[in-house]
Formats: sequence, C-alpha cells, structure tokens
Amino acid sequence: MTIEINNQPYDLPDDARISLLDFMRERLELFGSKKGCNQGACGACTVLVDGERILSCLALAAQYDGRSVTTIEGVANGDELHPLQALFVENEGMQCGYCTPGQIMSGIALKSELERGAPSNVSADLTVAPRMSRDEIKERLSGNLCRCGAHNGIIDAVAAYVGGEEQ
Amino acid sequence: MTYHRPTCLDDAVALLQCAPVEVIAGGTDWYPARGDRPVTSDILDITRVDGLRGIRAAPDGWWIGAATTWTDILRAPLPPDFDALKAAACEVGSIQIQNAGTVAGNLCNASPAADGVPPLLVLEAEVELASATGQRRLPLAAFLTGVRQTALQPGEMMAGLWIRKPAPGRAAFVKLGARRYLVISIAMVAVWLRLDGSLIAEIRIAVGACSPTSVRLTALEAALTGCRVADCATRFHADHFVPLAPITDMRADAPYRADAVQALIARAITEAAL
Ligand SMILES: Cc1cc2nc3c(=O)[nH]c(=O)nc-3n(C[C@H](O)[C@H](O)[C@H](O)COP(=O)(O)OP(=O)(O)OC[C@H]3O[C@@H](n4cnc5c(N)ncnc54)[C@H](O)[C@@H]3O)c2cc1C
Ligand code: FES
Ligand code: FES
Repeated sequence: MTIEINNQPYDLPDDARISLLDFMRERLELFGSKKGCNQGACGACTVLVDGERILSCLALAAQYDGRSVTTIEGVANGDELHPLQALFVENEGMQCGYCTPGQIMSGIALKSELERGAPSNVSADLTVAPRMSRDEIKERLSGNLCRCGAHNGIIDAVAAYVGGEEQ
Repeated sequence: MTYHRPTCLDDAVALLQCAPVEVIAGGTDWYPARGDRPVTSDILDITRVDGLRGIRAAPDGWWIGAATTWTDILRAPLPPDFDALKAAACEVGSIQIQNAGTVAGNLCNASPAADGVPPLLVLEAEVELASATGQRRLPLAAFLTGVRQTALQPGEMMAGLWIRKPAPGRAAFVKLGARRYLVISIAMVAVWLRLDGSLIAEIRIAVGACSPTSVRLTALEAALTGCRVADCATRFHADHFVPLAPITDMRADAPYRADAVQALIARAITEAAL
C-alpha cells in the first residue's frame, strides 16, 4: 500500500491504526500539519486529498492508500511562496502561526470550491453558484480556529486570494 | 488488528460475519468517540465498496449509497424536496468534515442531535441493511431505536437509503446552535410541504435534539393541513408537542428547548413555503 504526499510516494505503515496526521508527523517527519485538538474541532491538521480538504487527524492513513495528499510542505514552488502564503505574510494573517498551515490549506481548497460553484451554509440559494463575499469566506473558514484571534488578517489574505466583487 | 477495505458488498458483509469488526466510513464520529482508547478490533472501511458512493435516481425514487458524503449531497442535482437535507449537509461540522463524513455514518451513529435525521424523516426515507444472509429495508424511524441505538443486528451494515418520489414539494431545515459555526444542535427542525395556493395541502414536520431520537409531529401535521401558511403558528397547541421530551444539558435547558422548537417550526414552514 502506498500513499503519495506532495508528489512523493511513501509506503503505508504495516500498523493500520495510525492516523494520517500521526503518520505524517511521527513517521515521515512532515511537521507542517499541526495537531491542535486531534478530534476534528480546530482544523490545524487540514490537508488536501486529491484537491479536497479533509482533517488528517480523523483519518486512518490506510484509508488514503493510492490517493494524493498535499500538505503545507507541498504548496510552495522551491523558494517561491505559494500566492496564498505570500498574502498571509502581507496581510499579517497570523500571530503564533500554529493554525496557519491549516488555514492556508483551507484557503486553497476554498478557492477551488468557489470556482466550482459549490454552495455553503450562507449562500443565498443552494442551487446556484454563490457570489463571493466576506460572509462566504468566514463560513468556509469556520472549520479553522485561530486561538490568537488573527482572523481579520486571515480573512483579508484569503479574500485577496480568491478575488471577487465584495471584499 | 486488521484493516479491511473490500471493494464489493458481498465481501464486506462476509467480513462482518467474522466478529468483531468495526465499520468506518468518514471516521468523523468514530475517531472522536474512541478518545485515547487504542484500536483493538478489526476495521472494515466501506468507502471503496463498489456502488456505495453516490446518489442514483430511479423511476420511483432515489438511492443514496452508504459511502455518500455530505459534500456529495450538496453537489447533487436534486429536486426541492431535498432542500432540507442539503441545508443540513452544509451545517454538519465544517467543510472538511462534510468532505469525509457520510449521511449513513450520521444515521448509524444515532446521536439525538444528528442533523441528517429530521430532513430524512420528512422525506420518509427507508434504510437498507445488508448482511451475509440478505438485505432488509426499514423506515428510518424504526431504524433509530434510542440514544446511540439502532436496529442494526450483529453482522449487518447499512448499504444505503431509499427515498420514494413524493408529490413534488419543498423543504426547509432550521438549526439552532449556541453560536453560528461548527456546533452541535440545541434543536433542529425539518419541514417538507406541498402547497395548494396559499393553503397547506400536505405537511411533514420533524424535530431533533428534543427527544432520544428525532421525531415527526404527526398531530401538528394534521392540525396544519388545510391551514393558510400565514396562520400556522396560531394553530400550535401543547398537545401537538407531546412526542417531544427535551432535556436539560450543557447546551440548553429543557424549557428553552421546548420554547425554541415552536419558533423554529414556524420559521421552517415560512422558509419552505417561500
Ligand atoms: C468537529 C465535528 C463537528 C461535527 N458537527 C456535526 C454537526 O454539526 N451535525 C451532525 O449531525 N454531526 C456532526 N458531527 C458528527 C459527524 O461528522 C457526522 O455524524 C458524520 O455524518 C458521520 O459520518 P462518518 O462517515 O464520518 O461516520 P463514521 O465516523 O465513519 O461512523 C460513525 C458510526 O457509524 C457506524 N457506521 C458508519 N457507516 C456505517 C454503515 N454503512 N453501516 C453500519 N455502521 C456504520 C460506525 O461504525 C460508527 O459507529 C461532527 C463531528 C465533528 C468531529
Ligand atoms: S487536530 Fe485535526 S481538527 Fe484539530
Ligand atoms: S496564529 Fe496563533 S492560533 Fe492562529
């Protein structure tokens, strides 16, 4: 069984009890994804699987056999930051930085969800593509907590990243 | 401990016969529920069983496979009868949770506050349970037998849900939580209705988190049938709410729940009738 993480294949562990998050942090020394709560409530462990965001603390690594995972370590292009990483710096979208990897992975997924027209809980009509707004961004980032309260900067960074009329 | 990930339903139910094995789908209830206890039993991951993921339209209704996620529901082209289910889909946890968590997992976990239940009760959904000896169907209301209790027998798993095509109607779901985001419901209401002009021709109302399992309020449904949408709230009577048994817990006290439910029902009716 193999899993691809940031375009590199890894053998899955023989012990299937290990979560995707622990596998990355403890076996592969990929410390970018954080363990905030280990129970689905904070979003610090958010990663993309085939482009969709999930919580790596609530997943067995074995469940993602054959799938392609992207973590914060995989978004920059060499020394060149991913555009959303650069916007987090520019907008001061962090304080201690612990939630930042999860926020950025959520922000990247959020943009593609919006581009595909996926509605959310605050979309006026669930059957038509939502209009971008600060409310849409807040709703779509609601699974990522920030204990430092850097939300305004985070939302500014993500708003600049997704563009749109109302910001 | 062995991890099984069969690709056909026959293999899955064959594995279930060899006890003890725990079924997992999205894992979003399973994981937090185990806390720090180590995994000791074998695991049966159903997410790659052929034919279990997705929504299929049949001439007489819809089939929702047990591996169908909340995000799948939200993205599927479904008629307005499913609007309450879609509204619940985008209120379950966060988008990360909706991408992994399944409707079937929500039902099998059988929390009194499971947001999927009221919208499926008003659609009169049936669950399909599979075992090595065959399949059976049960109305969702009969499947949920108590707090975290279901009619699942040893060796059985949920294969999916059936929703018979109703006369075209509209639906709404209203959830009350202590804050706007990522909350377990204090109470939630789903309404499905069919209008005849401004009159209610047919209505179904289900309330969650106010009794061990979500319930339909059939006496209230009968009282509101034929009523003008605008007059509904004036017809509410204490007798209509007898099936509810709200409790006091960390999220809210019982009188608050009882009071809030009536406002939520009125709001859901107005929203569904819009
Ligand atoms: C932070 C957080 C927030 C949440 N918020 C909400 C919320 O707002 N509203 C809400 O309703 N829920 C919420 N949940 C709960 C959960 O996400 C949902 O109930 C979800 O739908 C569960 O689906 P799953 O596929 O992840 O189930 P799993 O965790 O995989 O399984 C749940 C249970 O059902 C059993 N099971 C699963 N599938 C089957 C099957 N096919 N046959 C037999 N047994 C089966 C499993 O053995 C397990 O006991 C939240 C969870 C978290 C962690
Ligand atoms: S560590 Fe996964 S959500 Fe908090
Ligand atoms: S920057 Fe410290 S938790 Fe968000």
